[in-house]
Amino acid sequence: MATAQFPAVTVEPFGDSAVMVTVPHPDPALRRAAIVAFRERFLADRPHGVLDVVSGLESLLVEFDPLQTAPTHVEYAVRLLARRLPVHEPLRPRTALRFAIPVVFDEETGPDLAAVAEEVGLAPAEVVEAIAQSTFTISLLGAAMAPMMDGLRVPRPVRRRAEPRTDVAPGAIMVAGTNAIIQPFPGPTGWRVVGRTPHTIVDISRPEPVSFGTGDIVRFVPVTRDEAAALDASFLLPTEVPA
Amino acid sequence: MTTVGLDITGTGWITTFQDLGRRDSERRGVPTGGAADQHSAAVANVLVGNPRGATLIENLGGEPAFVPDADVLVAVTGGPARVTVGGAPVDSWSPVVVPAGQELRVRGDVGLGARTYLAVNGVLTTETLLGSAAPDARMGFTQSLGSRVCLESGFRGFRRSHFTPPLFRLPVPVLRCPDGPWVIDVVESHGIQAIPGVRELIAESSYVVTGRSNHVGLRLDGPVRHPDSDTEIVSHGVPIGALQIPHADELIVLGRYRSLTAGYPIVGVASRASLPLLGQAGPGRELRFRWVDRETSVRRFARREGELRVLERATADAFGALGFEPSAHLIQH
Repeated sequence: MATAQFPAVTVEPFGDSAVMVTVPHPDPALRRAAIVAFRERFLADRPHGVLDVVSGLESLLVEFDPLQTAPTHVEYAVRLLARRLPVHEPLRPRTALRFAIPVVFDEETGPDLAAVAEEVGLAPAEVVEAIAQSTFTISLLGAAMAPMMDGLRVPRPVRRRAEPRTDVAPGAIMVAGTNAIIQPFPGPTGWRVVGRTPHTIVDISRPEPVSFGTGDIVRFVPVTRDEAAALDASFLLPTEVPA
Repeated sequence: MTTVGLDITGTGWITTFQDLGRRDSERRGVPTGGAADQHSAAVANVLVGNPRGATLIENLGGEPAFVPDADVLVAVTGGPARVTVGGAPVDSWSPVVVPAGQELRVRGDVGLGARTYLAVNGVLTTETLLGSAAPDARMGFTQSLGSRVCLESGFRGFRRSHFTPPLFRLPVPVLRCPDGPWVIDVVESHGIQAIPGVRELIAESSYVVTGRSNHVGLRLDGPVRHPDSDTEIVSHGVPIGALQIPHADELIVLGRYRSLTAGYPIVGVASRASLPLLGQAGPGRELRFRWVDRETSVRRFARREGELRVLERATADAFGALGFEPSAHLIQH
């Protein structure tokens, strides 16, 4: 499976000022890894006229100013970058930060914990243990800067809820597939809620509302309710700042 | 520069600080947001000598009004509106001086255009999120005005009598909000192939904006068709203006505050030049879609940009001739 060469990309226009980049490959894991690697390289080497990008699970929407560039130019730049990209050496524009995030896992903070345990064939305590043993990498910032990460190690991928929850509290730790995400603001979600951190994940009164970025490493540390209360947890900061 | 206070004496249903949106924030999960009708917002700012992207006031419905404690230079744009200063009607889409102590009042005709924009020469004092004054409800950044708004302005008045002819005759590209159905240009996208016949269906049907519409998207009543297979679409990024067909029988046109990713079929994307009109479409508005190719779409957008640049130059000349230098960074892109 270890292809030395970055797989070919497809570039498809989306309206008059965006194109969608995907990596057509039979292996979904490779598709996803490839698009993350491509995104990093693309942002580090942004072609003229490109305004912003939106990450999908297996795609990258590239938004551009149609008066400064054209889909054909963007496509050319995309293909050029993709060709230069070895898939297993993703570019790291900055050193990854590490986070150890305290989480309370119980029936109240994790209303889906029991159902997830049953689905993957473990006891709830074993699911908590599996989450604590997993090392997550932030693959993108989702809605309202929510850190979406990959790396959940459970016997099989977790399904989403058929019926989304309408009001999930900020700080909720949620899982789906082999991914985890933290809810930054109260709101709806189809992810399975398994715990909650007392930390503030996104603080809009700060010039930089979050302390994390893509590529950062996250571990979840189970704590009791009392331990969480004693933490006096505020804005989430990295635990280790690399030299 | 002096600090001027605006006492807010009236607000609409939704009245907020606003600008053209956040830059480079979508890669971090925050939609660009900003004025629903970017054209009207940019023109309002240009007409008072501000950079296009300056903070201004966006208003939906109702009757926003304020009383300044010093003379201010304002412009009202957006949907058709009756604008008065001290009770006397004045022009919209034009620079207007509001003398200290007089009330500026804006009554939009919501049936014709949902939003009005109110720009004031200078810098409105407000909080920002990721470098922009644009509200973001999802992140709890509401940006409502409160009872008093402050502003830093260098405007000193034009020293002229009230009984002379209007000062300005500028080439203003006014957004037309006609009475009948509005025609929205759409560029088809790849997803259209998965739904046979939907292109023709959309071209010949009429759609009505429902009351469940907001800055996240316009939800339209009208005929739709769904893909034959129920293959899951992997969640992907969606552009502003995307015509999305959810599982229900409705058509959604995504707005500037859309959820950035979705897994529904997207049959087309509204042309950039049509987005300002979509930002004015309120409940009950009838829309018709016209398929255009990408080149036509970009050409129309380029024409609008050209008009805006002509206005920027004319305004700078006019203000210069009146001895009023709004700011050195007037023409800024």
